[in-house]
Formats: sequence, C-alpha cells, structure tokens
Amino acid sequence: MKRIALAAMLGLMALAPVQAQTVVKYLNIASIPDEVKLMTEAVAEYEAANPGVKIELPFLENEAFKAKLTTLLQSADAPDVFHSWGGGVFYEQAKAGVLRPIEGVLSQEAKDAQGTAGVAAFTAPDGHIYGIARDVAEVVLWYNKALFTQAGVDPESLKTWDGFLAAVQKFKDAGITPLAMGGKDKWPAHFWWSKLVVRLAGQDGFNAAARGEGDGFAGEDFVKAGQFFLQLAQLDPWQEGFQAATYGDASGYFGDGKAAMHLMGDWDYGAMKDNSATKQGIPDDQLGILPFPTIDGGKGDPTDTLGGLSGYLFSKNASDDAVKFIEWYNAKPVQSRFANAGYYIPIVSGAADGMTNPFKVLVAQDINKAHWHALFFDQALGPAVGGVVNDVSADLAANAISAEDAAQQVKEAVDDAAN
Amino acid sequence: MASITTGVAAGTGVAVRRRRYMDRKSLVPLLIFLPPSLILFTVFVVLPMVDAGTFSFFEWNGYGPITNFVGFENYADVINHRNFGTAVRNSLIVVAVSLLIQLPLAMWCAIALSERSVSINILRTIFFLPFMLAEVAAGLIWKFVYDGNYGLLPILGDALGTKMPFVLADKFWVIPAIMLVITWKYFGFHMMIFIAGLQSIPNEVVEAARLDGVKKWQIVRHIKIPMIRSAIVVSVFFAITGALQLFDIIIPLTNGGPSHSSHTIVTFLYQFGILRMKLGFGGAVSVLLFIACVIVALAYRRILFRVEQN
Repeated sequence: MKRIALAAMLGLMALAPVQAQTVVKYLNIASIPDEVKLMTEAVAEYEAANPGVKIELPFLENEAFKAKLTTLLQSADAPDVFHSWGGGVFYEQAKAGVLRPIEGVLSQEAKDAQGTAGVAAFTAPDGHIYGIARDVAEVVLWYNKALFTQAGVDPESLKTWDGFLAAVQKFKDAGITPLAMGGKDKWPAHFWWSKLVVRLAGQDGFNAAARGEGDGFAGEDFVKAGQFFLQLAQLDPWQEGFQAATYGDASGYFGDGKAAMHLMGDWDYGAMKDNSATKQGIPDDQLGILPFPTIDGGKGDPTDTLGGLSGYLFSKNASDDAVKFIEWYNAKPVQSRFANAGYYIPIVSGAADGMTNPFKVLVAQDINKAHWHALFFDQALGPAVGGVVNDVSADLAANAISAEDAAQQVKEAVDDAAN
Repeated sequence: MASITTGVAAGTGVAVRRRRYMDRKSLVPLLIFLPPSLILFTVFVVLPMVDAGTFSFFEWNGYGPITNFVGFENYADVINHRNFGTAVRNSLIVVAVSLLIQLPLAMWCAIALSERSVSINILRTIFFLPFMLAEVAAGLIWKFVYDGNYGLLPILGDALGTKMPFVLADKFWVIPAIMLVITWKYFGFHMMIFIAGLQSIPNEVVEAARLDGVKKWQIVRHIKIPMIRSAIVVSVFFAITGALQLFDIIIPLTNGGPSHSSHTIVTFLYQFGILRMKLGFGGAVSVLLFIACVIVALAYRRILFRVEQN
C-alpha cells in the first residue's frame, strides 16, 4: 500500500510540471549570431519571470521559411508564433483559417504602442487582428560619396528624374558603374519599378490597380513607370553581368566601392559590409542616402516611402500565453536592445529613440513622416502577382520587354488571382 | 544457334524462379520483405503522384481544402504560358546534348580507360568525381568559375588576350555554359557503366580478333560496342529521363535566368508552380512531365524490342 502511494506521489510529481508548462514556439528567421543571442537572453528573462511558460525559438533560413511555412502551418507541428512580412501572403493565411484572431487577448497598451499603421498591417480584410507589428524597413538610394566626387556629380542634382538620368550618364562617361543590381534574384529590380509606381501612381492609384479597378496595372501610370524604368535601363547603368548577380553579389559590389549607387533596403547598411571583400564596406563618412528622384506630374506624395512592416502572426492553436509573451517581447524595454544594436528599426513607440546609427535614424524619420509607407509590392500583392512583378522588373532592367507588355503581364496576374 | 540455346536457358530459368515463388517457403520472406518497400513506394511515390494529378484540376494555393475545380484550365495555362516553350526547348536540348555529346564522350573515355592499371584508375576516379559531388555544390562551383568579375573564366580570357562574356548573364551563352556543366557532371557516371560492360567482355574474343589482324577501331566498332549493348541501353535511358528531370544544377547556376531563358521543365514547375503558390498549375506541369517520361519509357522499350527482333 505504501509503495502504491509512493508511486502515485512520484507520478503526480512527474506530471505536475508538465501540466503547468505551456510551450510557446516562436519560429523566426534571425540568422545573425549576436541578434540570436539577444533573443535567447530575452527569452531566459521571460521564463525566469513566468515559470509556467517555456519559449522555444526554432529557426528557418529566409527562403526555406517561405517554402516550408504553408505546409508547416497546416501540420500538427505548427509554430505558435511566426515571422511575417504582412501583405498578400498574410491575407491568404487569414482566409485559410490557419491563424488565430487575437483582438480578444491583445492589450490596449500593446495596440497603442504599435501605432495605427502597425495594427492596420496585421489586420486582415475580414477585420480581425491576427498579429503584432515588430519593425519597419525602407528602400533607399544608397550612394558612395567618394565616387560622386570622383565623377564630379553633385548629389543635389539627383533630386529629379532627369537630373538622375544625367548623373547616371556622367558616371558612365567617367567609367564608373552607376548602379549595383542583383538581377538574378529579381526582387532587387522590383524596387525600381515599385519606387516609380509609388511616385507616378501614388497610394490611391496603386490600391485601385491592386483591386483590379479600371485598367488596373495596365493603366497609364504603370505603363509610364515601365517607360521610366526603360529610360534608365537603356543607359546600361548596372554592373556588367548583373543578370547573373544575386542580391549578395550586388551588395558586395557596392560595398567594395565599385558602383556609385544601390537602391536597397536600409538593411544593406550591414549587408554591404558583410558582403564586401574587406568585410568593412564603405566607411560611414563616405556613405550617404539620397531621396528617390521626384517625377513631374506624379500622383504620389513626395514623402511616400517603400519598404517593409513586418511582425509576428499567431497560428490557429496559439495559446494566450503566446500572445502575452510577444506583447512583453515586443514592448519597448526588449525592442530597444535590438534598435541600439542596429538590427532593425522597431515600430513600438520609443524603442527606436536610442538608436545612434545616423542612417537608421534617418530612415525611421522618413517612415514616420511618410504619407504612405508602401509595403514591398511582391509581398503586398501576394506570391502569384508579386512573382510576376519581380519577373517584369528584371526584364525591364535588362531592357528585354516593352513597358506596355510589362504592365499587361501584371494586370493579367491580378485578374488571374481574382478569379 | 548460340542465341537459341541462351534463349532456352533463360526461359527455363524464369520458369524455375516462378515455381520457387509459388511454394510456401518463399511466401514468408515475400510477406516480410515486400511490404516495407511496397509501403514506402506507395507513400512516397504513388500517393504524391495521385495528389499532383488531383491538384492539377483545381485552383489551389496550398492553404485549406481543395474545392475550386477548374477542369483543364491549369493545363491550358501551362501550354499558353510564355515561358513554357523555352522550358521544353531547353529540356530537349539537354536530352540531345546528353545523347549526342555526353554518351559518345563517355564511351570514348571508357574505351580508353577500360584497362586495369594504377594510373588509369586514378584518371577514372578523377572523371567520376564530378558525379559524386552534390548537384547544388557543383552548380555553385561553376557559378564561381563563370563569374565575370572574380571567376576562372575572365582569368582564362585575360591569358588568351580576349574578354570573356558574362556567360550566365547572357541569353545566348547561358545554354552552352549549362550544357558544359551537365556534360562534366554526368559523363563520368555513363563512363563507369560502359567500363563495367567493357570489362565483362572476355579477353579471348578481343585477343582472337587481334590475332586475326582486325584493326583497333574495328574491334571497338564490331566487337566491343555490340557486346556492351545492354550497358548502352541502360545509359541512354538514364540520360533521357535524367535530362528531362534536370533541376538542381540550374537553380544555383542561373535560377532560370536571364529573363527565363534557361528554365527546364522542372525549374519552370518550381518557379511558377511552387514558389508562386499555384499548386494546381504546378500539378499540371508535373502531370505533363510524367506523361512525357512514360511515353519515352514505353517508346524506348518498343524500339528496343523491335531492334532485338530484327
């Protein structure tokens, strides 16, 4: 009898911690070792303060993450929380019912801290909130001051599109590659098309086209965007062999000081160093950010920006604890660490205040005062349409397609997706 | 006469074997050893195939239940796709290069290297090495070789005093460049098959021919090649089906670019079906490819059968 009681007690003891323990799996794409260290430290803090919760941080590399997520979310092994770039892919997930609406759990405080843009980014068309915004990114025109001096180009002269084209020609004449481009990956090319669309069509024009209204993406402004892109492409502004270059190759080419400019996200600040031959990249005092040239008659607001607004989504079976953890993790005290270390620009108010990197500060200001912060088009439009946008952009950069054909292809993809 | 006796011997062999399978003693091992492979084959080959066939009649992005039946629309989309023609053309070029360049090269090397000696063994290993490399690794290695800025090719160009093109960024050069990699990668495999065949040729036959004053070339033409016919049959079959399924070398090399000029059928499937989350479209491509492979296999058997009868 005694023995049975003992066994029962042992059994209960073994069970007790299991019952109390909730496991939260946060599937992330952070690959920089020091960033991962910050994450695990934060998790350890949280676990110490909340003994009942265990946080796991499974990792998948960016491309593998995109490829696997669809299957993963529908399996028994789905993560509770996972990284998301928002936009069309998120809407598909919400529509398929693999996500958990969290407005019932989310505190007003966490909601306010993200700002309206953050909340809107993770609200699906059905009106439910499925996620929490984490950070913002912007695509900017990086430039190498030394090469500008060498070619005698005044950065001020690049404010307009015509001035920009003239500068590109000046670099060509001076024997300097004007622009770095990772054409093999295609999405770097789509930044050009997107920036031109942001300038020419503006927020309303883009949204109407994305809904398939009127001529959609075959409309005048979008054909024009292609024509402007071709004007640039016809100057042969990219480094030789750009169609075989990946983003990393192009980033290194710029980082090595071989190209005068690179239209790329603010993350290229670190990547350009990492991809350069010396691992040093362009020194801070030689590096600058130019505003994207304005275009006369464009319908976009001059303050409009293009970039990302990414965050966390919660899968169907996520517990309240998962939401509580992310609320804590995404609040200012933790996020400011990532901001100070320069990994990304947190969206939570106040978290980015301590940033010292002048480029990141500039980008944060840009986004703050933007009339429209356009999401990366290939994310915003979903994989099917976004893929076509990337295709035609790469073709436009290679001068291998007409502006009309490019616009028509995107329109067809939208029509096709709407069916 | 010789052929008749072997035929009879083979016939009795089959009959004996068949009888052995029927008796109860061999039923037990059959029941033990067959299910694992049968289950694996069903789960990983047959079911996915049926799935892909099902998807191909639906519009589906990978999420949720499959409900949107579209009939043959996906097939029409595939056939009308602006890049499908290029993909098919490239796959056919790979088949042609495999058959007309790779296999003859493999045969030539095999005949030269079928003797046994240490130096020949080393050469053989060197030629076989590329085949043992993972495809992705091979693709990355050649991406560096071809790189117009830092690669081996521009260095070679400098040495020759000419400027080499950026082959992987050039719509014309990209195909020959890929063919070179494929030939380099796979000819060693076919060479090994041929060498195995050549080594099974009895020495006396070759020796007798030589004593009769038959020339070296004629020995190859009339004795060696006919005697390794079965090895050639296998090689040709592998070369064709392998060429139709070419995928993992293209992705790291060009990802189908520039401007979709280097897609094969399978990279086309991956790019426009899987990555764009149009699984119905992808399913339709895979079904078309499967049909093509089945036709090739059946036609090949038919042709061989006819040749054998003559």
